Amino acid sequence: MTALAVRAPIAPPKPRRLAVRIASWAVAAVVLAAFVGLDIEWDKLADLPGDLVHYGTLMFSDPDWSMLPEALRQTWRSVSMAWLGALLGVVLSTMLGIPAAEGVGPLWLRLPLRGLFAVIRAVPEVVIAIIILTVTGLTPFTGALALAIGGIGTHAKWTYETVESAPGGAVEAVRASGGGLLATVRWGLWPVISPELASLALYRFEINVRTSAILGLIGVGGIGDMLTTYTQHRQWDTVGVLIIVVVVVTMTIDAVSGAIRRRIMEGAKVRGVDRSS
Amino acid sequence: MSDTLTRSEAGGGTPPASGPWPIELDDVTVRYPNGVVALKNVSLSIAAGEMVAVVGLSGSGKSTMIRTINGLVQPTGGRVTVGPHAVSELRGRALREARGDIGMIFQAFNLADRASVFHNALVGRFAHMPTWRTMLGLASAEDREMVMRSLDSVGMLEKVWHRAGALSGGQKQRVAIARALSQEPAVMLADEPVASLDPPTAHAVMADLEDINASRGLTVLVNLHLMDLARQYTTRMIGLRAGEVVFDGPAATATDADFEAIYGRPVQARDRLGE
Repeated sequence: MTALAVRAPIAPPKPRRLAVRIASWAVAAVVLAAFVGLDIEWDKLADLPGDLVHYGTLMFSDPDWSMLPEALRQTWRSVSMAWLGALLGVVLSTMLGIPAAEGVGPLWLRLPLRGLFAVIRAVPEVVIAIIILTVTGLTPFTGALALAIGGIGTHAKWTYETVESAPGGAVEAVRASGGGLLATVRWGLWPVISPELASLALYRFEINVRTSAILGLIGVGGIGDMLTTYTQHRQWDTVGVLIIVVVVVTMTIDAVSGAIRRRIMEGAKVRGVDRSS
Repeated sequence: MSDTLTRSEAGGGTPPASGPWPIELDDVTVRYPNGVVALKNVSLSIAAGEMVAVVGLSGSGKSTMIRTINGLVQPTGGRVTVGPHAVSELRGRALREARGDIGMIFQAFNLADRASVFHNALVGRFAHMPTWRTMLGLASAEDREMVMRSLDSVGMLEKVWHRAGALSGGQKQRVAIARALSQEPAVMLADEPVASLDPPTAHAVMADLEDINASRGLTVLVNLHLMDLARQYTTRMIGLRAGEVVFDGPAATATDADFEAIYGRPVQARDRLGE
Protein backbone atom coordinates (compact mmCIF):
# COMPACT_ATOMS: atom_id res chain seq x y z
CA MET A 1 0.00 0.00 0.00
CA THR A 2 3.03 2.29 -0.16
CA ALA A 3 2.24 3.13 -3.75
CA LEU A 4 -0.80 5.03 -2.58
CA ALA A 5 1.26 7.29 -0.36
CA VAL A 6 3.46 8.63 -3.15
CA ARG A 7 0.75 9.17 -5.74
CA ALA A 8 0.34 12.81 -6.68
CA PRO A 9 -2.91 14.32 -5.31
CA ILE A 10 -5.62 14.77 -7.90
CA ALA A 11 -7.03 18.26 -7.58
CA PRO A 12 -10.50 18.97 -8.96
CA PRO A 13 -10.34 20.70 -12.37
CA LYS A 14 -9.99 24.46 -12.17
CA PRO A 15 -13.41 26.03 -12.96
CA ARG A 16 -13.49 28.18 -16.08
CA ARG A 17 -15.11 31.46 -15.16
CA LEU A 18 -16.09 32.35 -18.71
CA ALA A 19 -19.31 34.08 -17.66
CA VAL A 20 -17.46 36.29 -15.18
CA ARG A 21 -14.94 37.28 -17.84
CA ILE A 22 -17.65 38.16 -20.39
CA ALA A 23 -19.50 40.19 -17.75
CA SER A 24 -16.33 42.14 -16.88
CA TRP A 25 -15.75 43.07 -20.53
CA ALA A 26 -19.40 44.05 -20.92
CA VAL A 27 -19.23 46.38 -17.90
CA ALA A 28 -16.06 47.97 -19.23
CA ALA A 29 -17.71 48.53 -22.61
CA VAL A 30 -20.76 50.17 -21.00
CA VAL A 31 -18.56 52.55 -18.96
CA LEU A 32 -16.64 53.60 -22.08
CA ALA A 33 -19.84 54.03 -24.09
CA ALA A 34 -21.26 56.24 -21.36
CA PHE A 35 -18.33 58.66 -21.60
CA VAL A 36 -18.63 58.85 -25.37
CA GLY A 37 -22.40 59.36 -25.27
CA LEU A 38 -22.29 62.27 -22.82
CA ASP A 39 -20.25 64.64 -25.03
CA ILE A 40 -18.20 65.75 -22.08
CA GLU A 41 -16.31 68.97 -22.69
CA TRP A 42 -13.32 68.23 -20.53
CA ASP A 43 -11.77 71.69 -20.90
CA LYS A 44 -14.81 73.24 -19.20
CA LEU A 45 -14.01 71.23 -16.06
CA ALA A 46 -11.09 73.57 -15.57
CA ASP A 47 -13.52 76.48 -15.07
CA LEU A 48 -15.44 74.59 -12.38
CA PRO A 49 -13.44 75.73 -9.32
CA GLY A 50 -13.63 79.35 -10.48
CA ASP A 51 -17.39 79.16 -11.11
CA LEU A 52 -17.94 77.52 -7.74
CA VAL A 53 -16.20 80.41 -5.99
CA HIS A 54 -18.11 82.95 -8.09
CA TYR A 55 -21.61 81.59 -7.40
CA GLY A 56 -20.70 80.66 -3.84
CA THR A 57 -19.81 84.29 -3.20
CA LEU A 58 -23.06 85.47 -4.79
CA MET A 59 -25.11 83.09 -2.61
CA PHE A 60 -23.39 83.13 0.71
CA SER A 61 -21.41 86.40 1.06
CA ASP A 62 -24.53 88.39 1.93
CA PRO A 63 -27.61 86.11 2.20
CA ASP A 64 -30.95 87.86 2.26
CA TRP A 65 -32.08 86.77 5.73
CA SER A 66 -35.39 88.66 5.37
CA MET A 67 -36.52 85.64 3.32
CA LEU A 68 -35.93 83.26 6.24
CA PRO A 69 -39.53 83.21 7.63
CA GLU A 70 -40.97 82.41 4.19
CA ALA A 71 -38.26 79.78 3.65
CA LEU A 72 -39.10 78.12 6.95
CA ARG A 73 -42.81 78.21 6.15
CA GLN A 74 -42.20 76.49 2.80
CA THR A 75 -39.86 74.00 4.46
CA TRP A 76 -42.63 73.12 6.88
CA ARG A 77 -44.91 72.43 3.91
CA SER A 78 -42.23 70.19 2.38
CA VAL A 79 -41.72 68.28 5.61
CA SER A 80 -45.50 67.87 6.02
CA MET A 81 -45.66 66.58 2.47
CA ALA A 82 -42.85 64.14 3.25
CA TRP A 83 -44.47 63.01 6.48
CA LEU A 84 -47.93 62.47 5.00
CA GLY A 85 -46.37 60.71 2.01
CA ALA A 86 -44.36 58.43 4.29
CA LEU A 87 -47.38 57.63 6.44
CA LEU A 88 -49.62 56.74 3.50
CA GLY A 89 -46.83 54.96 1.65
CA VAL A 90 -45.77 52.85 4.60
CA VAL A 91 -49.32 51.78 5.43
CA LEU A 92 -49.96 50.79 1.80
CA SER A 93 -46.55 49.11 1.50
CA THR A 94 -47.08 47.08 4.66
CA MET A 95 -50.51 45.89 3.53
CA LEU A 96 -49.23 44.99 0.06
CA GLY A 97 -45.71 43.88 1.05
CA ILE A 98 -46.55 41.24 3.67
CA PRO A 99 -48.77 39.17 1.31
CA ALA A 100 -45.98 39.43 -1.29
CA ALA A 101 -43.58 37.55 0.99
CA GLU A 102 -42.76 33.93 0.36
CA GLY A 103 -44.46 31.77 2.96
CA VAL A 104 -47.27 34.25 3.47
CA GLY A 105 -49.10 34.85 0.18
CA PRO A 106 -49.71 32.22 -2.51
CA LEU A 107 -47.73 32.43 -5.74
CA TRP A 108 -50.64 33.78 -7.81
CA LEU A 109 -50.79 36.76 -5.46
CA ARG A 110 -47.04 37.24 -4.90
CA LEU A 111 -46.10 37.49 -8.57
CA PRO A 112 -48.54 40.26 -9.60
CA LEU A 113 -47.75 42.22 -6.42
CA ARG A 114 -44.02 42.02 -7.05
CA GLY A 115 -44.62 43.01 -10.66
CA LEU A 116 -46.57 46.05 -9.48
CA PHE A 117 -43.73 47.07 -7.14
CA ALA A 118 -41.20 46.69 -9.94
CA VAL A 119 -43.28 48.87 -12.28
CA ILE A 120 -43.63 51.57 -9.60
CA ARG A 121 -39.88 51.42 -8.91
CA ALA A 122 -39.26 52.11 -12.57
CA VAL A 123 -41.28 55.36 -12.51
CA PRO A 124 -39.69 58.39 -10.80
CA GLU A 125 -41.74 60.28 -8.21
CA VAL A 126 -41.75 63.36 -10.44
CA VAL A 127 -43.47 61.43 -13.23
CA ILE A 128 -46.01 60.00 -10.78
CA ALA A 129 -46.70 63.53 -9.52
CA ILE A 130 -47.28 64.75 -13.08
CA ILE A 131 -49.78 61.95 -13.63
CA ILE A 132 -51.57 62.64 -10.34
CA LEU A 133 -51.70 66.40 -10.69
CA THR A 134 -54.14 65.99 -13.56
CA VAL A 135 -56.58 64.96 -10.84
CA THR A 136 -55.55 66.80 -7.69
CA GLY A 137 -53.89 69.88 -9.19
CA LEU A 138 -50.67 71.65 -8.20
CA THR A 139 -50.96 71.23 -4.44
CA PRO A 140 -48.73 69.80 -1.71
CA PHE A 141 -51.28 66.98 -1.41
CA THR A 142 -50.31 65.93 -4.94
CA GLY A 143 -46.73 65.79 -3.74
CA ALA A 144 -47.67 63.68 -0.72
CA LEU A 145 -49.65 61.26 -2.91
CA ALA A 146 -46.78 60.99 -5.37
CA LEU A 147 -44.36 60.24 -2.52
CA ALA A 148 -46.77 57.66 -1.09
CA ILE A 149 -47.29 55.82 -4.36
CA GLY A 150 -43.69 56.17 -5.48
CA GLY A 151 -42.58 54.90 -2.09
CA ILE A 152 -44.50 51.65 -2.48
CA GLY A 153 -42.07 50.44 -5.13
CA THR A 154 -39.07 50.24 -2.83
CA HIS A 155 -40.78 50.16 0.54
CA ALA A 156 -43.02 47.17 -0.20
CA LYS A 157 -39.93 45.36 -1.49
CA TRP A 158 -38.10 46.11 1.78
CA THR A 159 -41.18 44.89 3.64
CA TYR A 160 -41.35 41.49 1.99
CA GLU A 161 -37.60 41.07 2.23
CA THR A 162 -37.82 41.82 5.95
CA VAL A 163 -40.57 39.23 6.32
CA GLU A 164 -38.60 36.62 4.38
CA SER A 165 -35.44 37.11 6.43
CA ALA A 166 -37.25 37.10 9.79
CA PRO A 167 -36.49 34.16 12.09
CA GLY A 168 -39.39 31.71 11.78
CA GLY A 169 -39.52 30.20 15.27
CA ALA A 170 -42.53 32.09 16.57
CA VAL A 171 -44.34 31.50 13.27
CA GLU A 172 -43.78 27.75 13.62
CA ALA A 173 -45.07 27.84 17.20
CA VAL A 174 -48.30 29.61 16.22
CA ARG A 175 -48.84 27.15 13.37
CA ALA A 176 -48.10 24.21 15.67
CA SER A 177 -50.76 25.30 18.15
CA GLY A 178 -53.41 25.48 15.44
CA GLY A 179 -53.36 29.17 14.49
CA GLY A 180 -54.54 30.15 11.01
CA LEU A 181 -52.69 32.36 8.53
CA LEU A 182 -53.89 35.66 10.03
CA ALA A 183 -53.02 34.54 13.57
CA THR A 184 -49.61 33.42 12.36
CA VAL A 185 -48.90 36.77 10.71
CA ARG A 186 -50.24 38.76 13.67
CA TRP A 187 -48.51 36.88 16.53
CA GLY A 188 -45.73 34.91 14.87
CA LEU A 189 -44.49 37.44 12.35
CA TRP A 190 -45.55 40.93 13.39
CA PRO A 191 -43.78 41.03 16.79
CA VAL A 192 -40.60 39.91 15.04
CA ILE A 193 -40.67 42.31 12.09
CA SER A 194 -42.33 45.41 13.57
CA PRO A 195 -39.14 47.03 14.96
CA GLU A 196 -37.41 46.74 11.61
CA LEU A 197 -40.51 47.97 9.75
CA ALA A 198 -40.74 50.97 12.09
CA SER A 199 -37.10 51.75 11.44
CA LEU A 200 -37.63 51.46 7.68
CA ALA A 201 -40.69 53.73 7.93
CA LEU A 202 -38.58 56.48 9.51
CA TYR A 203 -35.94 55.96 6.85
CA ARG A 204 -38.69 56.38 4.25
CA PHE A 205 -39.55 59.72 5.88
CA GLU A 206 -35.90 60.83 5.63
CA ILE A 207 -35.85 59.91 1.94
CA ASN A 208 -39.13 61.76 1.37
CA VAL A 209 -37.77 64.94 2.95
CA ARG A 210 -35.08 64.98 0.26
CA THR A 211 -37.40 63.89 -2.55
CA SER A 212 -40.02 66.52 -1.63
CA ALA A 213 -37.50 69.25 -2.46
CA ILE A 214 -37.13 67.75 -5.94
CA LEU A 215 -40.92 67.52 -6.36
CA GLY A 216 -40.99 71.30 -5.90
CA LEU A 217 -39.47 71.50 -9.37
CA ILE A 218 -42.83 70.75 -10.96
CA GLY A 219 -44.59 73.29 -8.75
CA VAL A 220 -46.42 71.31 -6.08
CA GLY A 221 -45.24 73.78 -3.45
CA GLY A 222 -42.78 73.67 -0.60
CA ILE A 223 -39.13 74.63 -0.41
CA GLY A 224 -38.27 73.01 -3.75
CA ASP A 225 -40.80 75.20 -5.50
CA MET A 226 -39.32 78.32 -3.89
CA LEU A 227 -35.79 77.23 -4.77
CA THR A 228 -36.69 76.78 -8.43
CA THR A 229 -38.42 80.16 -8.63
CA TYR A 230 -35.56 82.17 -7.12
CA THR A 231 -32.92 80.29 -9.11
CA GLN A 232 -34.77 81.14 -12.33
CA HIS A 233 -34.84 84.81 -11.26
CA ARG A 234 -31.14 84.58 -10.41
CA GLN A 235 -31.71 86.06 -6.94
CA TRP A 236 -28.61 84.37 -5.55
CA ASP A 237 -28.76 86.00 -2.11
CA THR A 238 -32.18 84.37 -1.52
CA VAL A 239 -31.08 81.05 -3.06
CA GLY A 240 -28.22 81.04 -0.56
CA VAL A 241 -30.66 81.28 2.36
CA LEU A 242 -32.82 78.52 0.89
CA ILE A 243 -29.87 76.18 0.44
CA ILE A 244 -28.73 76.77 4.01
CA VAL A 245 -32.26 76.05 5.29
CA VAL A 246 -32.59 72.88 3.20
CA VAL A 247 -29.22 71.53 4.32
CA VAL A 248 -29.75 72.35 8.02
CA VAL A 249 -33.31 70.98 8.13
CA THR A 250 -32.44 67.81 6.22
CA MET A 251 -29.40 67.11 8.39
CA THR A 252 -31.39 67.74 11.57
CA ILE A 253 -34.18 65.40 10.50
CA ASP A 254 -31.66 62.76 9.46
CA ALA A 255 -29.88 62.99 12.81
CA VAL A 256 -33.03 62.85 14.92
CA SER A 257 -34.65 60.12 12.85
CA GLY A 258 -31.40 58.14 12.78
CA ALA A 259 -31.13 58.31 16.56
CA ILE A 260 -34.72 57.07 16.95
CA ARG A 261 -34.08 54.25 14.47
CA ARG A 262 -30.99 53.13 16.38
CA ARG A 263 -33.03 53.17 19.55
CA ILE A 264 -35.76 51.03 18.00
CA MET A 265 -33.33 48.44 16.67
CA GLU A 266 -31.43 48.25 19.97
CA GLY A 267 -34.72 47.80 21.78
CA ALA A 268 -35.40 44.84 19.52
CA LYS A 269 -32.41 43.06 21.01
CA VAL A 270 -32.78 41.70 24.48
CA ARG A 271 -31.66 44.19 27.07
CA GLY A 272 -31.65 44.04 30.84
CA VAL A 273 -32.17 40.29 30.97
CA ASP A 274 -33.82 39.45 34.25
CA ARG A 275 -32.46 36.14 35.47
CA SER A 276 -34.10 36.01 38.87
CA SER A 277 -37.00 33.66 39.21
CA MET B 1 -27.87 28.75 39.46
CA SER B 2 -30.96 30.65 40.47
CA ASP B 3 -33.00 29.36 37.57
CA THR B 4 -33.94 26.01 39.03
CA LEU B 5 -37.57 25.48 39.79
CA THR B 6 -38.86 25.84 43.31
CA ARG B 7 -42.49 24.95 43.29
CA SER B 8 -44.62 22.04 44.21
CA GLU B 9 -46.76 21.05 41.30
CA ALA B 10 -45.92 21.70 37.68
CA GLY B 11 -48.62 19.47 36.30
CA GLY B 12 -51.55 20.61 38.42
CA GLY B 13 -54.72 21.78 36.78
CA THR B 14 -57.40 20.21 34.69
CA PRO B 15 -56.68 17.26 32.43
CA PRO B 16 -57.99 17.52 28.86
CA ALA B 17 -61.59 16.52 28.46
CA SER B 18 -60.70 13.91 25.87
CA GLY B 19 -57.99 12.18 27.89
CA PRO B 20 -54.59 11.20 26.48
CA TRP B 21 -54.37 9.82 22.97
CA PRO B 22 -52.30 7.13 21.29
CA ILE B 23 -50.02 7.97 18.35
CA GLU B 24 -49.69 5.68 15.34
CA LEU B 25 -47.17 5.92 12.53
CA ASP B 26 -47.83 3.44 9.77
CA ASP B 27 -45.07 3.00 7.18
CA VAL B 28 -44.29 6.73 7.20
CA THR B 29 -41.78 8.07 4.69
CA VAL B 30 -40.74 11.70 4.34
CA ARG B 31 -38.83 12.72 1.25
CA TYR B 32 -38.02 16.44 1.10
CA PRO B 33 -38.25 18.29 -2.22
CA ASN B 34 -34.43 18.42 -2.37
CA GLY B 35 -34.38 14.60 -2.47
CA VAL B 36 -33.29 13.99 1.14
CA VAL B 37 -35.16 11.07 2.66
CA ALA B 38 -35.59 12.05 6.33
CA LEU B 39 -37.78 9.11 7.37
CA LYS B 40 -37.81 5.64 5.80
CA ASN B 41 -40.87 3.43 6.31
CA VAL B 42 -41.22 4.17 10.01
CA SER B 43 -43.95 2.29 11.83
CA LEU B 44 -44.55 3.02 15.51
CA SER B 45 -47.32 2.59 17.99
CA ILE B 46 -47.29 4.77 21.07
CA ALA B 47 -49.93 4.08 23.69
CA ALA B 48 -51.99 6.78 25.38
CA GLY B 49 -50.17 8.24 28.37
CA GLU B 50 -46.72 6.89 27.49
CA MET B 51 -43.56 8.96 28.09
CA VAL B 52 -41.32 8.28 25.12
CA ALA B 53 -37.86 9.53 24.20
CA VAL B 54 -36.82 9.65 20.56
CA VAL B 55 -33.04 9.46 20.51
CA GLY B 56 -30.72 10.04 17.62
CA LEU B 57 -27.94 12.29 16.38
CA SER B 58 -28.82 15.45 14.51
CA GLY B 59 -29.88 14.55 11.02
CA SER B 60 -31.28 11.19 12.16
CA GLY B 61 -34.83 12.29 11.33
CA LYS B 62 -36.20 12.78 14.83
CA SER B 63 -37.14 16.42 14.22
CA THR B 64 -38.93 15.42 11.02
CA MET B 65 -40.72 12.59 12.80
CA ILE B 66 -42.08 14.77 15.57
CA ARG B 67 -43.26 17.31 12.97
CA THR B 68 -45.20 14.69 11.03
CA ILE B 69 -47.21 14.05 14.21
CA ASN B 70 -48.74 17.55 14.21
CA GLY B 71 -48.69 17.97 10.44
CA LEU B 72 -45.96 20.63 10.28
CA VAL B 73 -44.32 18.17 7.89
CA GLN B 74 -46.54 16.11 5.57
CA PRO B 75 -45.35 12.55 4.97
CA THR B 76 -44.80 11.61 1.34
CA GLY B 77 -45.93 8.08 2.17
CA GLY B 78 -47.74 6.29 4.96
CA ARG B 79 -50.21 7.38 7.58
CA VAL B 80 -50.03 9.27 10.88
CA THR B 81 -52.87 9.03 13.41
CA VAL B 82 -53.14 10.88 16.70
CA GLY B 83 -56.18 9.83 18.74
CA PRO B 84 -59.21 10.46 16.51
CA HIS B 85 -57.25 12.58 13.97
CA ALA B 86 -55.80 11.06 10.80
CA VAL B 87 -53.25 13.90 10.81
CA SER B 88 -51.51 12.96 7.55
CA GLU B 89 -54.82 13.23 5.66
CA LEU B 90 -56.01 16.52 7.13
CA ARG B 91 -55.78 19.92 5.51
CA GLY B 92 -56.92 23.44 6.36
CA ARG B 93 -59.31 23.91 9.24
CA ALA B 94 -59.42 20.22 10.22
CA LEU B 95 -55.62 20.12 10.46
CA ARG B 96 -55.59 23.29 12.58
CA GLU B 97 -58.15 21.76 14.93
CA ALA B 98 -56.03 18.61 15.27
CA ARG B 99 -52.96 20.78 16.01
CA GLY B 100 -55.00 22.53 18.67
CA ASP B 101 -55.11 19.22 20.56
CA ILE B 102 -51.37 18.59 20.21
CA GLY B 103 -48.98 20.74 22.26
CA MET B 104 -45.42 21.30 21.10
CA ILE B 105 -42.28 22.87 22.54
CA PHE B 106 -39.07 23.61 20.70
CA GLN B 107 -35.32 23.77 21.22
CA ALA B 108 -35.25 27.53 20.50
CA PHE B 109 -38.40 28.17 22.59
CA ASN B 110 -39.99 29.94 19.58
CA LEU B 111 -41.53 32.76 21.57
CA ALA B 112 -42.32 36.18 20.11
CA ASP B 113 -39.70 38.08 22.13
CA ARG B 114 -41.36 41.47 21.69
CA ALA B 115 -44.74 40.26 22.91
CA SER B 116 -45.72 39.78 26.53
CA VAL B 117 -45.56 36.45 28.32
CA PHE B 118 -49.36 36.57 28.42
CA HIS B 119 -49.77 36.95 24.67
CA ASN B 120 -47.22 34.22 24.02
CA ALA B 121 -49.15 31.83 26.22
CA LEU B 122 -52.44 32.98 24.69
CA VAL B 123 -51.21 31.55 21.37
CA GLY B 124 -52.19 28.18 22.83
CA ARG B 125 -55.84 29.26 22.75
CA PHE B 126 -55.83 30.42 19.09
CA ALA B 127 -57.34 27.21 17.74
CA HIS B 128 -60.44 27.95 19.83
CA MET B 129 -60.68 31.75 19.50
CA PRO B 130 -62.66 33.80 16.95
CA THR B 131 -60.40 35.62 14.48
CA TRP B 132 -61.20 39.13 15.73
CA ARG B 133 -60.14 38.20 19.25
CA THR B 134 -56.95 36.62 17.93
CA MET B 135 -56.08 39.72 15.89
CA LEU B 136 -56.58 42.07 18.83
CA GLY B 137 -55.03 39.72 21.38
CA LEU B 138 -58.19 40.00 23.47
CA ALA B 139 -58.85 36.89 25.53
CA SER B 140 -62.28 35.92 26.78
CA ALA B 141 -62.52 35.56 30.56
CA GLU B 142 -62.36 31.80 30.15
CA ASP B 143 -59.29 31.83 27.89
CA ARG B 144 -57.61 34.31 30.18
CA GLU B 145 -58.13 32.04 33.14
CA MET B 146 -56.74 29.02 31.25
CA VAL B 147 -53.63 31.00 30.33
CA MET B 148 -53.12 32.21 33.88
CA ARG B 149 -53.58 28.69 35.20
CA SER B 150 -51.02 27.20 32.85
CA LEU B 151 -48.53 30.00 33.61
CA ASP B 152 -49.08 29.36 37.30
CA SER B 153 -48.48 25.64 36.86
CA VAL B 154 -44.97 26.30 35.48
CA GLY B 155 -44.23 28.99 38.05
CA MET B 156 -44.26 31.90 35.57
CA LEU B 157 -47.41 33.70 36.68
CA GLU B 158 -45.61 36.64 38.26
CA LYS B 159 -43.86 37.34 34.90
CA VAL B 160 -47.15 37.41 33.00
CA TRP B 161 -46.84 41.05 31.87
CA HIS B 162 -43.09 40.93 31.19
CA ARG B 163 -41.77 40.89 27.67
CA ALA B 164 -40.84 37.33 26.68
CA GLY B 165 -37.49 38.54 25.32
CA ALA B 166 -36.45 39.73 28.78
CA LEU B 167 -36.59 36.22 30.27
CA SER B 168 -33.76 33.73 30.76
CA GLY B 169 -33.61 30.55 28.68
CA GLY B 170 -35.17 28.37 31.36
CA GLN B 171 -37.96 30.86 31.93
CA LYS B 172 -38.62 31.06 28.19
CA GLN B 173 -38.94 27.30 27.91
CA ARG B 174 -41.39 27.29 30.83
CA VAL B 175 -43.47 29.97 29.10
CA ALA B 176 -43.38 27.78 25.98
CA ILE B 177 -44.61 24.85 28.07
CA ALA B 178 -47.39 27.08 29.44
CA ARG B 179 -48.30 28.03 25.86
CA ALA B 180 -48.65 24.33 25.01
CA LEU B 181 -50.58 23.57 28.22
CA SER B 182 -53.02 26.41 27.44
CA GLN B 183 -54.13 24.30 24.49
CA GLU B 184 -55.32 21.66 26.98
CA PRO B 185 -53.64 19.15 24.71
CA ALA B 186 -54.02 15.39 24.68
CA VAL B 187 -50.46 14.88 23.40
CA MET B 188 -47.29 16.84 24.13
CA LEU B 189 -44.41 16.92 21.65
CA ALA B 190 -41.00 18.29 22.59
CA ASP B 191 -38.25 18.82 20.01
CA GLU B 192 -34.90 18.89 21.83
CA PRO B 193 -36.47 20.97 24.60
CA VAL B 194 -33.32 21.23 26.75
CA ALA B 195 -30.55 21.42 24.13
CA SER B 196 -30.25 25.22 24.60
CA LEU B 197 -30.27 25.11 28.41
CA ASP B 198 -27.59 24.68 31.08
CA PRO B 199 -27.65 21.35 32.99
CA PRO B 200 -29.64 22.35 36.13
CA THR B 201 -32.28 24.14 34.02
CA ALA B 202 -32.37 21.22 31.61
CA HIS B 203 -33.14 18.84 34.46
CA ALA B 204 -35.86 21.19 35.74
CA VAL B 205 -37.55 21.32 32.32
CA MET B 206 -37.31 17.53 31.92
CA ALA B 207 -38.88 17.17 35.37
CA ASP B 208 -41.69 19.47 34.19
CA LEU B 209 -42.36 17.18 31.22
CA GLU B 210 -42.22 14.13 33.47
CA ASP B 211 -44.73 15.78 35.78
CA ILE B 212 -47.05 16.72 32.89
CA ASN B 213 -46.99 13.07 31.89
CA ALA B 214 -47.56 11.78 35.42
CA SER B 215 -50.16 14.18 36.82
CA ARG B 216 -52.01 15.21 33.64
CA GLY B 217 -51.64 11.83 32.05
CA LEU B 218 -50.59 13.32 28.68
CA THR B 219 -48.85 11.24 26.06
CA VAL B 220 -45.38 12.83 25.87
CA LEU B 221 -42.93 12.39 23.01
CA VAL B 222 -39.59 14.09 23.52
CA ASN B 223 -36.66 14.29 21.10
CA LEU B 224 -33.30 14.01 22.85
CA HIS B 225 -29.73 13.36 21.86
CA LEU B 226 -28.42 12.84 25.42
CA MET B 227 -28.53 9.26 26.73
CA ASP B 228 -28.71 10.02 30.47
CA LEU B 229 -31.76 12.27 30.08
CA ALA B 230 -33.54 9.56 28.10
CA ARG B 231 -32.74 6.95 30.73
CA GLN B 232 -33.70 9.11 33.68
CA TYR B 233 -36.94 10.71 32.55
CA THR B 234 -38.63 8.44 30.03
CA THR B 235 -40.02 4.94 30.14
CA ARG B 236 -39.62 3.98 26.51
CA MET B 237 -36.91 4.85 24.03
CA ILE B 238 -37.03 4.87 20.26
CA GLY B 239 -33.67 5.09 18.50
CA LEU B 240 -33.51 6.71 15.06
CA ARG B 241 -30.56 6.47 12.74
CA ALA B 242 -30.60 7.78 9.17
CA GLY B 243 -34.39 7.92 9.17
CA GLU B 244 -34.94 4.36 10.37
CA VAL B 245 -35.99 2.95 13.75
CA VAL B 246 -32.97 1.01 15.05
CA PHE B 247 -34.06 0.64 18.69
CA ASP B 248 -37.36 0.40 20.49
CA GLY B 249 -37.43 -0.67 24.11
CA PRO B 250 -37.42 0.38 27.75
CA ALA B 251 -35.27 3.48 28.30
CA ALA B 252 -34.00 2.71 31.79
CA THR B 253 -32.33 -0.55 30.82
CA ALA B 254 -30.91 0.56 27.45
CA THR B 255 -27.21 -0.28 27.49
CA ASP B 256 -24.28 1.78 26.20
CA ALA B 257 -24.09 -0.75 23.37
CA ASP B 258 -27.66 0.11 22.42
CA PHE B 259 -26.73 3.80 22.28
CA GLU B 260 -23.65 3.00 20.19
CA ALA B 261 -25.92 1.25 17.73
CA ILE B 262 -28.19 4.32 17.59
CA TYR B 263 -25.35 6.82 17.26
CA GLY B 264 -23.37 4.60 14.91
CA ARG B 265 -20.17 5.36 16.84
CA PRO B 266 -18.70 4.82 20.33
CA VAL B 267 -20.34 6.71 23.21
CA GLN B 268 -18.58 9.98 24.00
CA ALA B 269 -18.58 12.32 26.98
CA ARG B 270 -20.80 14.81 25.15
CA ASP B 271 -23.56 12.22 24.84
CA ARG B 272 -24.30 12.77 28.53
CA LEU B 273 -25.57 15.95 30.15
CA GLY B 274 -24.41 15.17 33.70
CA GLU B 275 -25.75 16.99 36.71
